Formats: sequence, structure tokens, C-alpha cells
Amino acid sequence: MKQWNSVTGKYGEDVAVEMLKTKGYAILERNWRNKFGEIDIIAKKDGILVFVEVKTKIGELFGLPEEMAGKGKLQKVRNMATVYLNGKETPCRIDVVAVVLSENGQVTRLTHYENVY
Amino acid sequence: MLTKIRSTANIGLTTIPIDVEVDVATAGFPGFTIVGLASKAVDEARERVKTAIINSGFDFPPKKITVNLAPADIPKDGAAYDLPIAVGILIASEQLPEETVFDLKKQFFYGELSLDGTLRPTRGVLLLALFAKNITGSQLFVPETSANEASVVDIPVYPVPTLHRLIQHFIQIKPLDPLSYLPIKDALDMEPPEFDLAEIAGQEQAKRAIIIAASGGHNMLMFGPPGTGKTMLARALPGILPPLTEQEALEVTRIYSISGLLPPGASLITKRPFRAPHHGVSTVGLIGGGSNPMPGEVSLAHLGVLFLDETPEFPRSALESLRQPMEDGTVEIVRAAGHVRYPASFTLLAAINPCPCGYLGHPKRECICSQRQIVKYRHRISGPILDRIDLHVSVSVIAVDKLSQSLKNNPNAITSKQAKTLVVSARAIQTKRFTETKIYTNSQMKNKDVKRFCVLSPESENILKLASETYNFSARSYIRMIKVARTIADLDRKKDILPTHIAEALQYKQMV
Repeated sequence: MKQWNSVTGKYGEDVAVEMLKTKGYAILERNWRNKFGEIDIIAKKDGILVFVEVKTKIGELFGLPEEMAGKGKLQKVRNMATVYLNGKETPCRIDVVAVVLSENGQVTRLTHYENVY
Repeated sequence: MLTKIRSTANIGLTTIPIDVEVDVATAGFPGFTIVGLASKAVDEARERVKTAIINSGFDFPPKKITVNLAPADIPKDGAAYDLPIAVGILIASEQLPEETVFDLKKQFFYGELSLDGTLRPTRGVLLLALFAKNITGSQLFVPETSANEASVVDIPVYPVPTLHRLIQHFIQIKPLDPLSYLPIKDALDMEPPEFDLAEIAGQEQAKRAIIIAASGGHNMLMFGPPGTGKTMLARALPGILPPLTEQEALEVTRIYSISGLLPPGASLITKRPFRAPHHGVSTVGLIGGGSNPMPGEVSLAHLGVLFLDETPEFPRSALESLRQPMEDGTVEIVRAAGHVRYPASFTLLAAINPCPCGYLGHPKRECICSQRQIVKYRHRISGPILDRIDLHVSVSVIAVDKLSQSLKNNPNAITSKQAKTLVVSARAIQTKRFTETKIYTNSQMKNKDVKRFCVLSPESENILKLASETYNFSARSYIRMIKVARTIADLDRKKDILPTHIAEALQYKQMV
């Protein structure tokens, strides 16, 4: 059901944030948005600014979460990142976190892809 | 993991080996990219390969897959890289241990995949086979539906019905049977002609000319009012053409293989081509072309006949473009993608009416065309084209009593079978004559060959000289006439060209 997608997505983002924290990332922003779009997580580690796109799917039967973060989506994240940086020159990259949940909400897979763009 | 699979690309009729390098990276965001100057059709292989792998019961690895088609500067077109890419992915993702695939350096993969994993007929398999023949120990894996093309080449060819069956072959569950080698000699067969010469009423001179044209490969022009049998004579021509030799059959089949015109399951073009394009044909359709240059009608008629019915109706640009191939026997097509050369050694057979209404010079009917119309009509075929045509024959109106006679069986009329025997024996003489050269017929002789093979007696030379002076023949016509005389002498089984042969050749020359 479409109305549950946002709930799933929110849960997936929570899972991703927890993972990033344990990896030693400092979370700067969550759901940073303006009228053009949204960046799920903005984090920082070792002086590198990281823009994270989180994709969550329940089961892999209808496609992988990785497939849902295609060229277009990543371009959008990139554009948003440019807006966020507002001309500042700082080392940064774009990451994708793929979250796969089981029917009852257990995390079955959690993959972090670094520097995908 | 990185794997290298071998395949080939065809640029015109040249075959270039292509290494399909497939890398399935252990790290990195999943994706599937193909690099190496891939055209749209090759780029779309991503979707076909992905779906075909899944539908064949394997996993498509959710990893970063990079395919490189090396060398990177040669443009790749067509769907033939589907199979090598799919096999490469299966090996690189370790779903297929590399040891089971015996020898990747000697194995060539070629073919288009459909979404369910079956292999579709793919153009150019014969060219791949001819290329692979030069590499000792090579094996071919090609679509089952196109595999017969390669059966005339003596190397192991495995016809692959589906991707799944190919994998079964490699893991040795159910090996594929290699195709048995089919010697070309056995493939060449003879079919009965569509029209028999004996069915055509009268026109003895035209029949004689058509036999000469078939024997020596000379260009011929038929000239006459509508309904006198020009088209029928042309249709009868394939029936008297000599069978293709092994070498010729391979040459012709290569062109049809690259054009994708071989009927599915056929291994070889066994009949001399007879191409009769409609007069609406464009220059590109006739000569060949396109952004990835393909052979045109002149190349498809290679070693056979190109019949232009109603020749003046063809676009002038198309007709004029015939000049180079008529002279050189090849066409060179230059496009942005590169330049290719296709063989185009054909016999031109043209049929024209004397005027737009068709009845100029008719013994009974009156022509209604104005002088201007007639001149305009004649001008549609330029002098240089007419100069390249050796045999000009008038196909005149047949008298009614002759027509009725032909409907009852006329025992005197020459049949296609008899004509063919004549033609075959004349060709045999030519084959023997040209064993050391690269040509097959008298019409293909270059000037130095004419000097060598066509010795004229002083008397013959005198006749020719006299005629040339009287009618102002061009230098080309002069040489061409000697070639026709050579063919007539061959039909007569004479070693030397006698005055009678020259005289006959002269009467087929245009005298206007």
C-alpha cells in the first residue's frame, strides 16, 4: 500500500542512521529539503561531507533497492548537494544505503555503497 | 573477476577480432555499463542479457558490471555481442567455473539473445567462420538458426539453441553436437528454370545474345516495343546461367550473410543471384550505403545478373552511380563510420522501350510521341552507361504466324537446357584460361588480360579497325568488343578469334 511506503522509508532511514553512527559518521542533517527535493542524510567523517540516499524495500521479489536508485535519482541528490554546499568547496561524496526488510520488519540486508556517483 | 571472451565485428566484408572483456567488481554500486564505441543496438544488449540470464535460471549479479569491447576505436553494431557478454557475466560472476570452459582463447561466441534465453538468427556467421578458420583449434558457438551458414567451413561449429543449453554443454551435463561439415560441392544443386527459352516466341537474335551474355558475363541491353518478350527473356536468363563454383558460392554467400538475406537454415547461396530492383530504387538502395554501410543491389547481384526493367524510368542519379561498379567490379562506399568496399561484379541486363509510348519503329502501330519527347526519353540513359553495354539487341514485334507456331511445340526452338550446356562449356574454357588470375569471365578481363588472351588475326584486326573508324567507337568500346568476340569464339570452341566472331560482336554494338 502506498500510504505505508513513507513509514517503511522512515524506518529504513532510522536503520541507516544507526549503522552510520556505529561506523563513526557524524550525522549533520536528516531529511534536509527544499522545494526541489530532499537529501535523506547528510553526514561527515574524516573531514569528508557525505550525502546519503537511503532506499528501503520489503523483500527483493519486486526488484532490488539498488535498482531504485538509478541515474536520475542520483542526479537529483547531486543537484541538492550543490544547493546545500552553496558554493563552499569542501571534499564530499554521495553514498547509497540499501535496506531490505522482511515482511515482519526485520532487517535482512543492509548494504552501504560509498562514492557511487 | 575479469573474463575475456572472443567475438568478431564485421566492417563491410572484413572481419576484425573483438575481445569482450567483462568485469564483475566485488565492490561498488551495482550497475551495468558497456563501453567501446557501442551502437544503440549493442547498448540495449544490457536489458536483453539481463533478462535472458534470469530467464535461463541463473542469477544476474547485483554488482558493478563493466563490459569493454576492445579495440575501443572500432564502432560495434548489431546484436551479435549478446551471447559473449552473457557468457562473460556468467563466468565473471563465478556461476560458471572457468575451468569448465575449455579454452576461451580459441572459442568464439556470436549471437543475439531473446528475452527467454533462446538465440535468434544473427547476420554474418559465415564471415566469422571464415575468419576463425585461420586460427588453429578454434571453436564456434553460434545461434542454431544461423549455424548452417558456417557448415561449409571446415571447423567445429556448435549450434546453440538456448543460453541454458550452452551452459549445460560447458558443465558437461548434455554436450552439444558440432555441426557436420558440408562440402560446398554437395550444396550446389540445380533448380528448373522459371521460364524456358523455348517458351519465348521468335527473337532468335536476342536469344543468341542472351547466351553470349550468360557465357561471358557481358552487359546487355534489350530494345523494343512493349509485349515482345523483353521481360520474359530476362526471366529466362537465370535458367541458363552456369552453376556457381565453390569459390564463387562462398563469395556470394558472404555478401548475403552480412546483409542478413540468407533464408533461415540455409547454408549457402547455391544459385547465381538474379536481382531485379523496381525502378523506384534509390541510389543508396542500388549501390549500398547507410550510416553503417550495407551492400546494395549491385553487390547482391555480384557474380550474377542485375536486371533493370524499364531502365529509363530509374532515377538518373541511380543509373549514373552504376558507372564505377560496371567498370571496376567493386563499389567503394564512404561514410562517417568508415569506408568499405563491396564486390559488385555483375552482368547488367537492361530493357528499354524505344520511346515513351513504346511504338516507335513498330511496323503497324503509329507512335504518338513528339520528337522532343523521344529525345528527352533517350537522354535519360547517358552515353557513358550505353558505352559500357556490349550487347545491344532489338527485340522486335513477332509476326502472328510465328507466335501461333510457338504455341504448338516448335522443335527448332532452343531450350534452356541446350543453352545452358553451351554456356557451361564456354565458361569451362574461361575457367581454364583464367586459372592463374583472379577473374572468372571474359567480361572481367583488364586490358593486360585482353592483350594476353585475345590475339587477333590480321584479318580480324582489319575488320575491327575499319568498323572503329566508320562508327567512331571509343577506346573502351574497342576493347569491350574484343572481349565479346572472345566469348563468341569460346562458344564456337575456337582457340583464336576469327573474323566471323568479330563480325558477330560488331552487329551487337550500338550503331547510333
